[in-house]
Amino acid sequence: MAPRQYTASDITVMEGLEAVRKRPGMYIGGTGREGLHHLLWEIVDNAVDEAMNGFASHIQVILHKDGRTASVVDNGRGIPVGIHPKHKRSALELVFTTLHAGGKFDQGSYVTSGGLHGVGASVVNALSSSLTVTVRRDGGEHRQEYRRGKPRAAVRRVREARGSGTRIQFTPDEQIFGARVFDADKVREQLDVKAYLNPGLRIVFRDEANGVTAELEHEGGLKDYLDHLVKKSQQRSILSESFTLDRQDNGAINGGGFQLPIRSNIALVWTESPKERLHSFVNGIPTQDGGTHEQGFKDAVVKAVRSYAETHDKIPSKLKISAEDIREGVVGIISLFLIEPQFQGQTKDKLNNPEVRGQIDSMLRADLEQWLHDNGTAADAIVSRAIQAARARMASRAAVQQVRRKSPISRRLNLPGKLADCASSDPSVSEIFIVEGDSAGGSAKQGRDRKTMAILPLRGKVLNAEQASLAKVRKNNELMDVVRALGCGMDKDFDASRLRYHKVILLMDADSDGHHIATLLLTFFYRYMPDLIRGGYVFLAQPPLYRITGGKKTWWAADDREKERILGRLPARVKPEIMRFKGLGEMMPKTLFQTTLNPKKRRLLQVSIPEGYLSETEVVITNLLGKDPKARYREIMARADEVEELDV
Amino acid sequence: MNGIEPVALHEATRRRYLNYAMSVITSRALPDVRDGLKPVQRRILYAMYHNLRLMPQGRFRKSAAVVGECMAKYHPHGDSSIYEAMVRMAQPFSLLHPLVDGHGNFGSPDGDSAAAMRYTESKLTPIALELLREIGQRTVDFRPTYDGQLFEPIVLPARFPQLLVNGSEGIAVGMATRIPPHNLREVIDAALMLIATPECEVKDLCRKLRGPDFPTGGLILDSRAELTKIYENGSGPIRVQGTWETEKRGRKHYIIIGSIPYAQNKASLIEKIGAAIAERKVPQLQDVRDESTDVCRIVLELRKREDATAAMAYLFKHTPLQQTYHVNLTALIPQRGSDVPVPARLDLKTLLRHWLDFRFDTVRRRFEFELQKLRERIHILEGFEIIFVDLDEAIRIIRGSEGRRDAAEQLMDRFGLDDLQADAVLELKLYRLSRLEILEIRQELDEKRTAAERIEAILAEDRELWGVVREELSDLREKFGTKRRTRIGASDEDELDYRDDAYIVAEDTFVIVTRDGWIKRQSSFTDISKIRIREGDRIDWLIRCSTRSAITFFTDQGSAYVIMVDDVQPTTGYGGPVQKHFQFADRERVVAIQSFDPRNMPKLPRPDASQAALPFADGDDPPPPWGVAVTRHGRIARFSLETHSEPSTRSGRRYMRVGRGDDGVVAVYPCVGEEWVTIASHQGRALAFSVADAKILKAAGKGVLAMKLREDDRVFAYELSTSTIRGACVHTERGRELMVTPRRFGGSRAGRGAVVLKRGHFVDWIREPVVILDKVQGEE
Repeated sequence: MAPRQYTASDITVMEGLEAVRKRPGMYIGGTGREGLHHLLWEIVDNAVDEAMNGFASHIQVILHKDGRTASVVDNGRGIPVGIHPKHKRSALELVFTTLHAGGKFDQGSYVTSGGLHGVGASVVNALSSSLTVTVRRDGGEHRQEYRRGKPRAAVRRVREARGSGTRIQFTPDEQIFGARVFDADKVREQLDVKAYLNPGLRIVFRDEANGVTAELEHEGGLKDYLDHLVKKSQQRSILSESFTLDRQDNGAINGGGFQLPIRSNIALVWTESPKERLHSFVNGIPTQDGGTHEQGFKDAVVKAVRSYAETHDKIPSKLKISAEDIREGVVGIISLFLIEPQFQGQTKDKLNNPEVRGQIDSMLRADLEQWLHDNGTAADAIVSRAIQAARARMASRAAVQQVRRKSPISRRLNLPGKLADCASSDPSVSEIFIVEGDSAGGSAKQGRDRKTMAILPLRGKVLNAEQASLAKVRKNNELMDVVRALGCGMDKDFDASRLRYHKVILLMDADSDGHHIATLLLTFFYRYMPDLIRGGYVFLAQPPLYRITGGKKTWWAADDREKERILGRLPARVKPEIMRFKGLGEMMPKTLFQTTLNPKKRRLLQVSIPEGYLSETEVVITNLLGKDPKARYREIMARADEVEELDV
Repeated sequence: MNGIEPVALHEATRRRYLNYAMSVITSRALPDVRDGLKPVQRRILYAMYHNLRLMPQGRFRKSAAVVGECMAKYHPHGDSSIYEAMVRMAQPFSLLHPLVDGHGNFGSPDGDSAAAMRYTESKLTPIALELLREIGQRTVDFRPTYDGQLFEPIVLPARFPQLLVNGSEGIAVGMATRIPPHNLREVIDAALMLIATPECEVKDLCRKLRGPDFPTGGLILDSRAELTKIYENGSGPIRVQGTWETEKRGRKHYIIIGSIPYAQNKASLIEKIGAAIAERKVPQLQDVRDESTDVCRIVLELRKREDATAAMAYLFKHTPLQQTYHVNLTALIPQRGSDVPVPARLDLKTLLRHWLDFRFDTVRRRFEFELQKLRERIHILEGFEIIFVDLDEAIRIIRGSEGRRDAAEQLMDRFGLDDLQADAVLELKLYRLSRLEILEIRQELDEKRTAAERIEAILAEDRELWGVVREELSDLREKFGTKRRTRIGASDEDELDYRDDAYIVAEDTFVIVTRDGWIKRQSSFTDISKIRIREGDRIDWLIRCSTRSAITFFTDQGSAYVIMVDDVQPTTGYGGPVQKHFQFADRERVVAIQSFDPRNMPKLPRPDASQAALPFADGDDPPPPWGVAVTRHGRIARFSLETHSEPSTRSGRRYMRVGRGDDGVVAVYPCVGEEWVTIASHQGRALAFSVADAKILKAAGKGVLAMKLREDDRVFAYELSTSTIRGACVHTERGRELMVTPRRFGGSRAGRGAVVLKRGHFVDWIREPVVILDKVQGEE
């Protein structure tokens, strides 16, 4: 061989493939299992491209006995073997030894391709200890062999042959991949997917190590694939038929000035699974990390279902349905064929073309929406599934909150802001006063014994628990403040052992509105934490109604009877001054303590449900506070004369 | 154990709840039958009269002063509830005779609230004095106030039936009250009648008291009998309408609403009327304006040549311009021997009776008080008379005495006076010792004695007392009576006819239906290609028709769905899917549209004179026009179009029963019996025959065979042709066009048709969109 000039162009070539061997990760994502298989897919995808562009009808993939050598055969046009006019070398050799050489840059010979950047064949070559390519075209069979990317000889015409096609046999380099072998099952599965994505394509897979041959071909395309996926995941579709979209736009320019995908295939169905699963492919290559096409898909599904539901008024008022609720249970397959796909990273796991999102959104949304209108049964099943999901989401959020409330660490933090807690954390000595109104709360806070007395002021009339639904009760701030302050939970979650105070004392003004609030709270306890009453934890405080000053002495009277008693005891010449308390807020804090709070002097009524009065209690609560105004009227009128101390 | 006593839940609840309930019933929400006031109202009036002396002829004072006085001394509740109660008593649109004279912004019928109490001023109205003026004459009982510092009246000595005149509304616990205002003259007339004939019945009283009289006027639709029944039962619904008249200004016609139902917010009413006009629900109306000042005047602008009564019928039905007022004559009745009144629902007579008895009692107590005052005066005057007989002796005693006490005792000893008389003598001013004085004293003594006798006579006889009551009532009637404002009893013309289709704007519109089944209507468009449709869709039908006509959608499943054109969404957007209007089966598709606008109906052939008498030979067959449908399986059905001209339910009506499997109607066309049916089959056969050969179905059926098809062949294209040289047009696989004309393919029904293609099949049915624009058939 004549000595050659060492020229700059040589350096590019040599350095190109050297770089691949130095940093294989940059090109194939790594040198592990994935990387090894990546080599195979580079070659297979080239063959599939040939098939998908209509030049090959079937592909054969062979894993040889050693488990490390693979062959890919197609009956396509065959890689050109002639001398390249510019590089003065065989085109075949250029393809296998030069980075960025290939037939996929201009759109003349391939319309779409999974191979990207033209690195495929040369990278595989560079990382293979040996590679043999056999091309049949122009009436002959041509062959070239390489070792670690370097041709052992020029392309040579081996024999006369008819037909056309390419066969590539390669063995990944042990220096780079170690002793790893191909995983036959995985390869077969992936090939199967390719057959689904390209209906009409036949792939023959031969696993020589295990002596297995399989023909992979799926006429039904994505629809079959979807059925296969749903079945495999042991889920059931909620629809009798899946939705499919099959569009050929041949790269037409859409309104935004972008080319539409050559082909857009989408299949989707809803299952009962709580998960959403998308399988997306661009030019036959799985995009495991999704990308703009999956985003477009998600947008479209949500908008289409929402639009259907809104048009037909299917969503119950007040229920908010989120995008996730709609997509819950979706199994979708998206397969796009793009002329100029952009990926993130060399391994092509995520599609990056920004225009695709809008394109998929608009084409899928319009079609899916029309399909929903035309298939009311399926559409209604989907909408009720979303409603169910929304309800489940609310329920589970409530459950999570419930659980959170139970955890002891967050207990303190969960107390209502208005609660003025006591210093003691021992429930047996702690008391909580539920006080009517902020102005009374102020007096009580200042007058209490900080060590054992907590104060919770309520504002105005609380909700009537007898007439409200559980949901409404749960939403009522005042009642929930009470529940949170007590710490013992309500309804089914009631747990007396978590009660934070063993005396729950209702401290209301001694007027009719105070009485009303007391009955409302008692009703709430009776309905939602009856064990609080049965356990003897509920008390009624007895604030005074009158202050009587006579001479230099002061007396307090809790009711009219007591007032009369005190007045009767006074000497005749003393003119007493009687003052009626209107609200607790009117008292000096000290007075409140002396008369009502002080455990040594106060009077408390301990509320109980005595044996034998269970039904009586029920009747009283139902009639007086229930929803039937007639029952209330009867009860009031029947006992009108028993009433004492009316407000004036 | 240190101050803890047990209490049963049911007892604690009952005791407290009943206390609350009774407190609200007896001293918050319900009015007293005697003065018609709730406690808060009574306390406001009393504070204004007794404490602040805010007399009608006097000055105004800040409302805050009234509220503060009332709250501090009598009514221990929130200031805002007191002020609100006071504001209502000042509103001439709430009370027929306001009790408070308000200065400043006291709210409006538009729902504006009053200015804050620090801005407004108030005093009593003259008629409020009629509730208060006798209060100093021991006419009513008093009780200690809430803090025991003062006394307040339990009830005000109302000199007229305030409860009926001004009405009352309140919600208590387990009960409520709703008493409308009534005309003062009528109420007093009824009261007078009851005094004269205590045994009269409610229906007699109702001749005087004809019904509510709202300060806002309006018209009560109920008949006298209905109203009487309400006053007998003490409850019942009353229908109240606003009143209106028409007005012509220039060329324009207007409706003027001069009053609205009681207690309705005028602003929100106008808003609702405006919304109805904006949504074109009342096509008769163009605009609404509020020209009210202190007089209600809502102006509705009528469109040209439109019917005012139809517009009003709509407003009465769909806006609060007509309201139902639920009367509930519940009030508190005083109980003998108890200071706690009891609530009761009353009929009119009992209600008036209670007031009259109270009034009688008040007058009696007033006279008793007067009499007592007279007697006290007479007693004093008698003392003076004695002294003046020996005046010098009296003067001597006083001069020689050691102070007042001593003088009094000596006078009492010497003249036989008692304490009161002796004190009165000592209080005399020196100038009264003149000679003339004794004459004056004697004269006064005579007068007082006569007056006392007169009162004694009155008090001795109930009849006399009733006479006074009657007289005073008549005086009050004269002084305060006003004309009735609310008209009662609707004449026939007031009960307006409500007809749904009167509110469809009659206008021509273009209904657009696309291949994918999206429908909408537009009043105009510039060009068919400019009509907005969804991407990839296309317009298959574009029909001009009136909004008052029906339009029918025939589907491949053999169902016909009908709606009024007006109900089709008018939009320049995409419109809505047809499934929004109808309950379609899965994959059911629209295959034909028929507009029932008379102009779009096929023109019927003129029957011969001979046939005119016998309209149709087959007596039982439905008359033309018919619809003709052909299915994929080759069956044909002719049916009456008329059956499908009335709006259907969402599930539609059946016009034909299609076969199983892939059968379905290919198309439906209207016909009069002279057209040709032209059919092309998928596998390349063509047939045409006269539509008259197709049997007319009387009910939805399978029809008869149109074309005999091979097992796997289907009807591909079907059109109805009025000409022998036109018909369904199809493309072959090679792109050749074929028209199934009756001239070339004419045959008979149920034939196999001519073989056009030996191999392959037709691929394209060239079908122009059905476009019916302005030159519609039948239009003269």
